[in-house]
Amino acid sequence: MFSFLRIIKFALQDIGRNFGLSLMTILILILMLLSVNTLFVIQILTNQATQSIKDQIDVSIYFNADSTDEEIKEVTEYINSFPEVVEVTFYSSEQVLDDFKKTHAGNEEILASLDELDENPLGPTTVIKTRVPSDYPNIIAALNIPEYENIIESKTFTDTEVAIRKIDNITTQVERFTIALSTFFGIIAFLIIFNTIRIAIYTQRIEISIKKLVGATNWFVRGPFLVESLIFSVVSTAVTFSLVLFIISFIDPYVGVIFNKTAFLTNYYLDNIILLVGVQFGVVLLLTLFSSILAIRRHLKV
Amino acid sequence: MISLTGISKQYSRDSVGVDDVNIHIGTGEFVSVVGQSGTGKTTLVKLIIAEERPSAGKIEIGGWDISRISYHDIPLLRRQIGVIFQDFKLLPKKTVTENVAFALQVAGESGSRIREVVPRVLDIVGLGHKGARYPHQMSGGEQQRVVIARSLVHRPKILVADEPTGNLDSINTQEIMEILKKINEFGTTILLVTHNREIVNQLRRRVITLQNGKVISDEEHGKYNLSKKH
Repeated sequence: MFSFLRIIKFALQDIGRNFGLSLMTILILILMLLSVNTLFVIQILTNQATQSIKDQIDVSIYFNADSTDEEIKEVTEYINSFPEVVEVTFYSSEQVLDDFKKTHAGNEEILASLDELDENPLGPTTVIKTRVPSDYPNIIAALNIPEYENIIESKTFTDTEVAIRKIDNITTQVERFTIALSTFFGIIAFLIIFNTIRIAIYTQRIEISIKKLVGATNWFVRGPFLVESLIFSVVSTAVTFSLVLFIISFIDPYVGVIFNKTAFLTNYYLDNIILLVGVQFGVVLLLTLFSSILAIRRHLKV
Repeated sequence: MISLTGISKQYSRDSVGVDDVNIHIGTGEFVSVVGQSGTGKTTLVKLIIAEERPSAGKIEIGGWDISRISYHDIPLLRRQIGVIFQDFKLLPKKTVTENVAFALQVAGESGSRIREVVPRVLDIVGLGHKGARYPHQMSGGEQQRVVIARSLVHRPKILVADEPTGNLDSINTQEIMEILKKINEFGTTILLVTHNREIVNQLRRRVITLQNGKVISDEEHGKYNLSKKH
């Protein structure tokens, strides 16, 4: 118990008496965490941007004007049976006609031609949304069966297929790039943290050997460095998250204009604060502890 | 108390620290080990405090065979031997009081005991009023007295002094030697490693002379016999 309290006391003393070195170590940890959070914010924004585009993609199924209600119901139920389908919206012939008139309100010729026809030439329409754009081809393929040839007049998918493929492609590439960048960043972060801790311990190598010669055990010498790692991790994580929340509060109004959401980044961070803080603190703590143990090992051989 | 039987330390094929050394030091003795530079004096100290392991032979400290001591037991051994180094080896970021207290803290002594003992030991070496100073704020002689206080604070039965006056002027050298003699009078066994002819001759105690890693003489009331060019 005495030893444990002394180790904490020595750690606090060391931080105070090597204040410059402690401050430099904390600053480097903060810079690394800020870089990681910058990458993370970019990933959140990229995901949100692709999601917004994906949300706007749908497929419209145009039924023949003479299709019966039973036939339309059967097709709609068939579409709904697919687990990939998340939303099916049905528009009657009248609603489709109203929408058409509203869309072409300024075009007298089109409206006049409609008036000349005795009956509504437009059939009902169903708009389908799937979980991911890559599900659309499967749904469309499933609807290309002989039983529905006379019921379905056309599908808009052929128009959006290329766009969907491109978005899928871009999303996949962005995800791959982010993973590669994160891995690269992780390696750099580890090397920087390891070397920072190693230098901090190297400057105290003579003191370590003196402590050993006076009769200190390895854990008595190692202990303060491990407590310092814990303190550095707590302080750097706390300062980083305060800075990140402060910075994103300035970015949020601009992000809000693009995605039409208020305080998007702030809300994202606050909703996931325990996970974000926990993971980043845990990783920094593990890295600093591992670096300390590894760096101090060679100086303990006295 | 200290027994070295057939001790050899070979660093590499052509680098020998000590070679077949046999030394037996009884309780309460004051023994000087002399010899020219590179003759194995410091190797001997390193072997006694388990900073080095012998290549051959047996070392016993108070009946404890430390020839193959485990890394786990080394701190226990060092807490039983006081060591004074030529280069002081004080912790630069700790005050005089903290440096002396550290030797007790590593042994798990209570805070109240440390607060009681440390000022008393500092008074013995004449530094009771300088406990709050840092090592760099003190002279060489004062720093060496702090080292003596640190090595005495856990009441060791053996005190090993490796060139304790090597960095000191003649006045400080005399002061340090007086303190060592006083410590010896209280029953502590002292092993003094030195190449200072005057202090060895003044002591008129047992002198062991090393040459090329071997003991060439061991006299009960000896003198520094090596020629001055050494």
